[in-house]
Amino acid sequence: MATLPSGLPEHVADEEDLARFLTQSNQFNASMAKPAAFLPGPKDRETSVFRHGREPSDSLWTIGLGAAGGRNLYGAAIFKARVLSTAQLEVIADEPPARHAAIRGWPWIEDDLELQKAQQMERAVLIASQAALLRR
Amino acid sequence: MLKPFSTIGLCYVTGYSVLGLYARGGSAISAEAQAAQKAASAVVESAELSQALFGGKAAAISQLGVLANECAEQDWDGNEANAIDQLAVSIAQGFVRAMPDTLPLPEFTPEPDGSVSLDWIQSRNRLFSVSVGPKNRLAYAWLDGADKGHGVAQFDGRTIPSRVLEGIQSIVNHGNAPFRTA
Repeated sequence: MATLPSGLPEHVADEEDLARFLTQSNQFNASMAKPAAFLPGPKDRETSVFRHGREPSDSLWTIGLGAAGGRNLYGAAIFKARVLSTAQLEVIADEPPARHAAIRGWPWIEDDLELQKAQQMERAVLIASQAALLRR
Repeated sequence: MLKPFSTIGLCYVTGYSVLGLYARGGSAISAEAQAAQKAASAVVESAELSQALFGGKAAAISQLGVLANECAEQDWDGNEANAIDQLAVSIAQGFVRAMPDTLPLPEFTPEPDGSVSLDWIQSRNRLFSVSVGPKNRLAYAWLDGADKGHGVAQFDGRTIPSRVLEGIQSIVNHGNAPFRTA
């Protein structure tokens, strides 16, 4: 199996942990990351994540600070990659930066943006329900 | 002895505080005075309830303003997010104003495309999200245990669409009645 510069396999396994970094204080509450924190960007149509679990935390926050690019880093939502297949999404390794991956396959309906958003929200709700909140 | 009078007139002339004193006073003797005192009590209770409820909505509307300020620039998330749309914020504020007073107020979340998410989160497996963008069509999705779904509904700025309202109530009231998507 092909390996990436980070040493990780190119294929993201279902059992791998993924981290979505939270850079805005309203993206989470006391108990969980909110669904909107997982919605895709409007330009690249994907959600940026890193292939990292809650440990080692030093490594996690180092990666997170790099991803935040000078913004506040409040925490991370950690979830298993297999959640994405349940939500009819896929995750693709996307280095550099090291360990970076992208959630793709979000519904995109050019002529009905609200229906598009509703379908995206349903998937985001599923991810949020399975993600553990880790505060920094 | 206190004389009968219009409680509305009293509000205009002497204000709420005097009405409160009158409502709580125990000196009414005649039937008319007792009726007026009872009416004053009802007005005061209603006013206090309204103030408490409006206070919550006012705070929520203020939170939306803070959120819009925090996400007023492009790339607020580091992933090329759009700035929060002011029209979306305005529609979201209208949604909050239109909410029945019996419904809990939502939490707010910025979305990468500049929309605002209104979330009612009971638990990680029981939640309802409404996405408010710059148009008057609302996107919504929910998770209720193993049940999930999504829909789109028109919002006229005054009345919460019944499907959205029923969906939120189903989540927050632990209701058993399922609801359908758009």
